[in-house]
Amino acid sequence: MNAHANVLGFHEPGDGWLFRLPVGIKYLLMLAMVVPPLAAVQWSVTLACLVATLTFLLTSGIHLGRALRLGWMMWSILLTLALFHLATLAPVSAFVRPGNLLVAVLAARMLTLTTPTPELMDALVWVLRPLRPLGVNADQVALAVALMIRSIPYLLGTVDDARMAARARGLERNPALLLTPVILGAVAYAERSGEALVARGIGERPLAD
Amino acid sequence: MIHLDGVSVVVPASRRGDADRTLLADVTLTLTEHRIGIIGANGSGKSTLLRLLNGLRLPTAGTVTSGGFDTASQGRQVRTHVGFIFTDPLAQLVMSTPIEDVELSLRSRIKGRENRTREALRLLEERGLGKLAHQSIHDLSGGERQLVALTSVLAVEPKIIVADEPTTLLDLRNRLALRDTFARLPQQLIFSTHDMDVASDATRVLVVDGGRIVADGDPAAAIRFYERSMAMTP
Ligand SMILES: Nc1ncnc2c1ncn2[C@@H]1O[C@H](COP(=O)(O)OP(=O)(O)O)[C@@H](O)[C@H]1O
Ligand SMILES: [Mg+2]
Repeated sequence: MNAHANVLGFHEPGDGWLFRLPVGIKYLLMLAMVVPPLAAVQWSVTLACLVATLTFLLTSGIHLGRALRLGWMMWSILLTLALFHLATLAPVSAFVRPGNLLVAVLAARMLTLTTPTPELMDALVWVLRPLRPLGVNADQVALAVALMIRSIPYLLGTVDDARMAARARGLERNPALLLTPVILGAVAYAERSGEALVARGIGERPLAD
Repeated sequence: MIHLDGVSVVVPASRRGDADRTLLADVTLTLTEHRIGIIGANGSGKSTLLRLLNGLRLPTAGTVTSGGFDTASQGRQVRTHVGFIFTDPLAQLVMSTPIEDVELSLRSRIKGRENRTREALRLLEERGLGKLAHQSIHDLSGGERQLVALTSVLAVEPKIIVADEPTTLLDLRNRLALRDTFARLPQQLIFSTHDMDVASDATRVLVVDGGRIVADGDPAAAIRFYERSMAMTP
């Protein structure tokens, strides 16, 4: 399968401390890593949170290769961001901007690599339930998040396929040729997924116990 | 048991001034046989017919009842009673890994996440998929995905399985394996296929052409009828 296809990764059972941490605490830990560097915009804060997040992952028995396997697309976005800021003679931004994005992705992976999606969904439902009077359907939000996690690899895969197809015809640099099949593919995939949800009766009954 | 009574599916023309399109015309059927195959050319109406059976599509005229439930007014009960298998299992799997997908199906009948996880693993192991429980669905082969999709659908404990060309995307080995799995299901099974070997597994075969049932009965006779009609109108 496409090597890039896993920005968020997926859960495999493990016994490190992150795996055993209650999911609510993990959400808070994620926020504690993501928010400060965004607010501070200082290289030292970004570096500190980057090191901390990586340490959390590594000490939970997730080796560096698995922690950093974000796919070529994510890495090229990070590199592009860095080069852009270097070109505009902003060396601090060249570290802080992609650094903050990397922290966000790695912090999200602290959750997704160590928690089964159903558990993430239940936690979301629990958090969002008080918002019901405001018209927020917690079950649907949780289901949407789960669908998003499952769809990202597929959608990134179609980008890859479109790029290959365009290259095969020597038309690599034409963005329309790249985007059209990707968008058509995404719409068709969404339609089939929606149908599958209906067929399985998911969304017709509440998710939580 | 599924009963279709005077069922038509008519969709409005895509351009104004054109005639409406009839996808299915006045079909009356009682489906009681254990294994029912549906064959017909591309675009003949097989998927439309199958989608009616669990209420994924509603008739524009007539009624469809599955297990005594009306698909139009009791959709929820119908979908618990009738499980649906799609051609492309990747679209059917809603979660990132097999175990999570089966767990999602179990939410309707098993309380407690731990109980669900245990039961999901048991069901996957039963189909020889235990080792794949925590793999990404994107890393599975087509045949494995189709078996996971089947496990998820069966987890709801439906009485009837409807499958729309379930073997079309599979290679020969996986096709044979799925046929074998299907053969052992206790549920009533209604499926469409382009594979005449698969069709001959049925006890009753329907031939669809232009939204009508043009042959219905013994598999050998129905398949012969279909093959002859295809040879005459290439
Ligand atoms: N929602 C729709 N609107 C208009 N035409 C449709 C729709 N769904 C299917 N069709 C058309 O109905 C015909 C029968 O389709 P289908 O039941 O999918 O056939 P099969 O599964 O036998 O290939 C096809 O010509 C198809 O293009
Ligand atoms: Mg079809």
